[in-house]
Amino acid sequence: MMEANTVIKARNISKAYGDGSALSGFNLDVHSGQIMGLIGPNGAGKSTFLQAVLGLVETSGELEVLGLSPNKDRHELLSRVCSITDVAVMPRWMKVGQVLNYVDGVHPRFDISKARKILSNTNIKTSSRVRTLSRGMVVQLHLSIVMAIDAELLVLDEPTLGLDLSYRKEFYSQLIEDYFDGNKTIIISTHQVEEIEGVLSDVVFMDQGKEVMSGSIDELNQKFLELRPKAENLEKAKALNPIYIRTELGRPVYLYENADAEKLRAFGEVHPPAIADLFLAVMKKNKEGEVK
Amino acid sequence: MNALKAIIRRELQEHKWGFVYLPWIVAAFMSLVIVMVYLGITEVNTENFKFSTEVFADPETVQGMNEATFDQRKAAIRAGLLVLGFPLVIALGFAILAYSLSTFFDERKDKSIIFWRSLPVSDSFTVLSKLSVALFVAPLLVIPALLFLHLVSVTAGSIFFAVSDIVPFTWAWQAYPWLDWLRVIFSLWMQALWSFPVIAWIMLTGAYARKPVVTAILPPVVIVLVEGVSLSSSVFYDSLIDRLTPWSRSSSFPKEYETLQVAEISDVPLLLGMNEFWIGIGLGAIFVFLTIYFRSKSDYASVE
Repeated sequence: MMEANTVIKARNISKAYGDGSALSGFNLDVHSGQIMGLIGPNGAGKSTFLQAVLGLVETSGELEVLGLSPNKDRHELLSRVCSITDVAVMPRWMKVGQVLNYVDGVHPRFDISKARKILSNTNIKTSSRVRTLSRGMVVQLHLSIVMAIDAELLVLDEPTLGLDLSYRKEFYSQLIEDYFDGNKTIIISTHQVEEIEGVLSDVVFMDQGKEVMSGSIDELNQKFLELRPKAENLEKAKALNPIYIRTELGRPVYLYENADAEKLRAFGEVHPPAIADLFLAVMKKNKEGEVK
Repeated sequence: MNALKAIIRRELQEHKWGFVYLPWIVAAFMSLVIVMVYLGITEVNTENFKFSTEVFADPETVQGMNEATFDQRKAAIRAGLLVLGFPLVIALGFAILAYSLSTFFDERKDKSIIFWRSLPVSDSFTVLSKLSVALFVAPLLVIPALLFLHLVSVTAGSIFFAVSDIVPFTWAWQAYPWLDWLRVIFSLWMQALWSFPVIAWIMLTGAYARKPVVTAILPPVVIVLVEGVSLSSSVFYDSLIDRLTPWSRSSSFPKEYETLQVAEISDVPLLLGMNEFWIGIGLGAIFVFLTIYFRSKSDYASVE
């Protein structure tokens, strides 16, 4: 049984393809109101997991989405779940207005006037054919449609892949400012961590089909700290066993796990790490663990 | 109901050339030829079909027309409807075959299938809706063009007869079999059901094959060759050709009704009484089931 506010419950999810396994024993809980980021390199299993959530691939293990089985109850699930993926492409032959009318005809939770209103703030005309739109505009169209659907869960699989920076920024700001209201739940996969840094409430780091680390952003900010030690404190800081060292503008930056913040502050500037840096550190630590 | 309407509208938007424009293009071209023939500008003279105003110069023909009973006039108009309808039905046949081939292939090719399948429409509903477009909606769309063409031909003929003092303008109109329009719709639907296994087979190849044209043609060709070489028979070939010919002309059709021209509603038992009809429905149903199965297995990998 799922808890009342559990949106996704995944236990021991595995999926093998001919040439190897995409997921091996993956576990995840996503609760209502979370914006969960699945972060990992290409081939980590992010897409496979999101396809399983959408009922596109069958996996072994226990998977429930909104209390439903994605494979068996796919039809019911899809009226409550929306998705934007790098792979899904809007039909190029269609006019924007025709796409809206079609979604209006088949989706009980779609508000066509809301979609038109959202589109009126963009450069996309309802009379334009999808094939005449740039890639960024097509994603914007897809987002406008999804924003006009009263869905409980939004699945975004590398939604901004291949877009230029201005569209990427616009995409996420629109998502958070105009769509997310605290009752909805979003799960986003990406390997471009920086761009969703400020968007997420929770993260899961994935590698080779497994969870490497997970937690809420608040928890991670408590647990991990970065120190930019003053030159005279370098050795002392190093003695506190940083888990990862990187260089920024020629100066070393140390990352600590479960360190005493007060103690660190004595050696220099202390900040929570950026997700991207934390990810690199965790992946490196994970690789070393494997080697050992 | 809304979803079905939305899918049908989308299919007609995507295939507007085959289903919406093509019948009108054919009808417009044929109307033009008919009007030109009555104006004496041209004539149609092929091995199987001759159409010119010369025949009305023959006093015997004129006398025959004047003496024609109501039923004879009606029969003549009906025959005209059949002849004029023929090119339109051929065009419809090609449009349906092209549609069946592309409808499940194009959405895989352009990856839009992932978008369609992200919306709450089940695969079975999509497949059955698309099938209903091929079997019922497309034949219906031929009717206005055929009606237009037939009315142009009867009007042009009536004007020619009246102006040439052959028979009065009302000669044809009095006997015009208006109910034939219902019969034509019905007849086309029956024909579509008769050809259903071929249509469903082609749809299936579009849903799973990488090269649907080859996959659609190759297995039947192999079966025909194997049967021909090993059994020296052509049962499969004959039944395949049967499915592509008018059902009332097929070899499985009861011989005593061979002269049947336009299917009447009362002919339903004839078709329903043919074992071949039900074999076709059963075979088509298997292909439809497989089409649903293959579509439901579409994931990112299958479109990349």
